Amino acid sequence: MMRTIRWAAAGAAILVVGTLAWTGPARAQSAAVAQAMVAGTVGEQSDGYLGVVGGASAAVTAEVEAINIKRRAAYTDLAAKRGVTVSDMAAATGCQTLSSRVKSGQKYRIAGGAWQTKGDGPIALPGYCATAG
Amino acid sequence: MIERTYFAVRLTGVILLGMTSGCIQVKAPDKPIEINLNVKVQQEVVVRLQRDAQDLIQNNPELFPQ
Repeated sequence: MMRTIRWAAAGAAILVVGTLAWTGPARAQSAAVAQAMVAGTVGEQSDGYLGVVGGASAAVTAEVEAINIKRRAAYTDLAAKRGVTVSDMAAATGCQTLSSRVKSGQKYRIAGGAWQTKGDGPIALPGYCATAG
Repeated sequence: MIERTYFAVRLTGVILLGMTSGCIQVKAPDKPIEINLNVKVQQEVVVRLQRDAQDLIQNNPELFPQ
């Protein structure tokens, strides 16, 4: 019984350390991209992915791609659970990022259009976002 | 006294008449009733996805830097 508890504790410790080790680089990664978003070299897109506006470093570009791959994995997972397409799930997330995540002065792009800078008012979202409220 | 009773009876008659004429007649339709739920279902899917999207963003801050 004690042995089981000890093993469980050890397992939990390994899990915690593993999680910390895994989120460490991920946090550094998102910090660099967050800076690029403030600088206007990276922006959110209505398709649910990040895009490089231009002028971003090779490192930041690679980080954007890495984040997009992880996003795609998350969208794929949720889409399978809900029985919708991956692009639908991604677009639904795009509605959210554009409506509540992009801050004034940051770049965003709708459906492959030109990059725009968010003003003080809310972003004019694609029609399919409106029904979600 | 009799007149008053007569008046009351007449009044009741008028009220009853009014009630019967005010009745709504319900007639079963010949054709089967069709209710289109597609629009609502579609909207529910979008709303549900929006909620999933919100949770995804909140639970994965490293994927959604600001």
